Amino acid sequence: MKSNTITHLGMAVCIAAAAFGCASSGVKNPSGTPVTEMKADERGFVTGTGVESQDLVAVTDKMSRGILGLDRVARATTPPNIVLEPVVNETRFPINKDIFLTRIRASLNSKAQGKVIFLAREQIAALEKERELKRTGQVTSTSDPNVQEFKGADYFLTGKLQGMTTKAKAGVSDYVLYTFQLIDARSSVIVWEDLAEIKKQGLEDAAYR
Amino acid sequence: MTQSSALHRAATATCVALLLSLSSVFWAGCSSSPKKEKPKLTGDPLVDGENFIQNGPERDRVLWQYRTALTALRQGKLDLSKQYLDEALARIQGIYGKDADAKKSRSYFREEARKTFIGEPYERAMAWFYRGILYWIDGQPDNARACFRSGQVMDSDTEDKTYSGDYVLFDYLDGYVTSRLGGDGSDAVRRAETNSHLWKPPGFAPKANLLVFVDYGPPPTKFATGEYREQLRFAGGKSQIVSATVKIGEASGKAVPYDDLFFQASTRGGRVMDHVLANKAVFKKSTDIAGTVGIISGAAMATSNNRDVQTAGLAVMGVGVVTKIFSAATTPEADVRTWDNLPLYLSFVAFEVTPGEHTLTVDFLDGQGRILAGQSKTATINVPEGTPEKVIYVSDKSITPQTL
Repeated sequence: MKSNTITHLGMAVCIAAAAFGCASSGVKNPSGTPVTEMKADERGFVTGTGVESQDLVAVTDKMSRGILGLDRVARATTPPNIVLEPVVNETRFPINKDIFLTRIRASLNSKAQGKVIFLAREQIAALEKERELKRTGQVTSTSDPNVQEFKGADYFLTGKLQGMTTKAKAGVSDYVLYTFQLIDARSSVIVWEDLAEIKKQGLEDAAYR
Repeated sequence: MTQSSALHRAATATCVALLLSLSSVFWAGCSSSPKKEKPKLTGDPLVDGENFIQNGPERDRVLWQYRTALTALRQGKLDLSKQYLDEALARIQGIYGKDADAKKSRSYFREEARKTFIGEPYERAMAWFYRGILYWIDGQPDNARACFRSGQVMDSDTEDKTYSGDYVLFDYLDGYVTSRLGGDGSDAVRRAETNSHLWKPPGFAPKANLLVFVDYGPPPTKFATGEYREQLRFAGGKSQIVSATVKIGEASGKAVPYDDLFFQASTRGGRVMDHVLANKAVFKKSTDIAGTVGIISGAAMATSNNRDVQTAGLAVMGVGVVTKIFSAATTPEADVRTWDNLPLYLSFVAFEVTPGEHTLTVDFLDGQGRILAGQSKTATINVPEGTPEKVIYVSDKSITPQTL
């Protein structure tokens, strides 16, 4: 009688275990992960070893502070005119290069309160066309269109991203060096330069190695 | 103790053991995601690809993104190709650290093919290569170079360092872009020349304004071998097409193979996963043998006249059955999912042509240098004045004619 009870109990436990086993979906986060708003300078839970938003924020903030702290900018009686030159990407990561200069420009424009002036050289074709339309009288003008008002650059701001990669069975390591320069347009002297460096390492699951 | 109660206890033990083993199989087998019906193939690779990306298994998404991106590139649908490659590359760049599916695929009772597909290193390298071509087509040679460098990195952890990072074209193009951007690309070109085992890459054409990427031949395929199909191997390496000629007006250039994907796939050496699969195979075999021994010896004991021996025999049989079930549930099979529309050979030709509209023809040649009938491709191209240079991609699987 006693052994019968044990048998039935055992069978019940096994069936229950089987049933619960089948009930599981076996998927981690089956309902997905809700959208998580993060700060741009935060390291998120989706990361790689490449150039990411937190790097962009850290690097461009550092560069903006460097430019603003420059005597030639901070104590200039007339705000210097700066032209942005494309950033050179020599890393192994394809990036939107303009985003670095765009953030530096926006940061300086919002924080420097007129201490520097950026010239929209990337819009020069459209600006020339507009001026030509005014000069030929095809559109109206509030000032004399024949007067040269396009400003020349006092400085060029440019940068370069360079990288070093090591990949081995132990994982991948990526080092990226960010350098930015302010170049005097008249003398070609590099009046300011700063750098930032970020190194990241990661290792894939053994299933991918 | 009566005979019947002894038998009853033995039967109970066997029954419980069987149920336990069955429930463990349920745990292993039923814990997968609910079965989702696989999309049906229509025969149109672009339609099928998009369908599988949207509705197919999540673990195969990158595989279908690779395939569909290449199909789109060959049909001149560059935006679609970029979209899928970007999605796939974003996925494969974020695989560091813990991955639940990858972890499961290492367990005894899950197949390797249950992990999220990101491809073997030669497949990942090719995803970077094609994205590089697309960046160059868009006039971003430095981003193209970044992709070629990343492609080379994918191949840099081989077991035998002789074959580490040895794609000829990746280094050559790295040097080519560096030179065109005013840098010194000579180191990269030297590496390309050292690694070339088919053809040496040509010297730079500094004034070239038309760059043609050509690829051809059937891709390497994967198969599983070994007693339990636990060893991943590659097949292929043979192609009817062994070179190509690119003609534009009076000019022509030989698109000889600089890289061989079968060579790249098969010279990487062992994977860490191979050891995991080998362990699974050993477990499968040893549990199978132990199970057989248990069942046979248990059966022999059960025929004994001694009740206690009979009881023990039935218990041993039960354990044998359980062990056999564990063996059957072990899955050491290697993952053979393959990016199956890759080429075998990669090539590149540079031309200096007058700006304007041209007709470009690519003839594919066999081993005797004969043009293979019905395989030629033509494209109407418009070479712009000055920079950026015109970059085009033609494959033996491209649609023809095209306007590029």
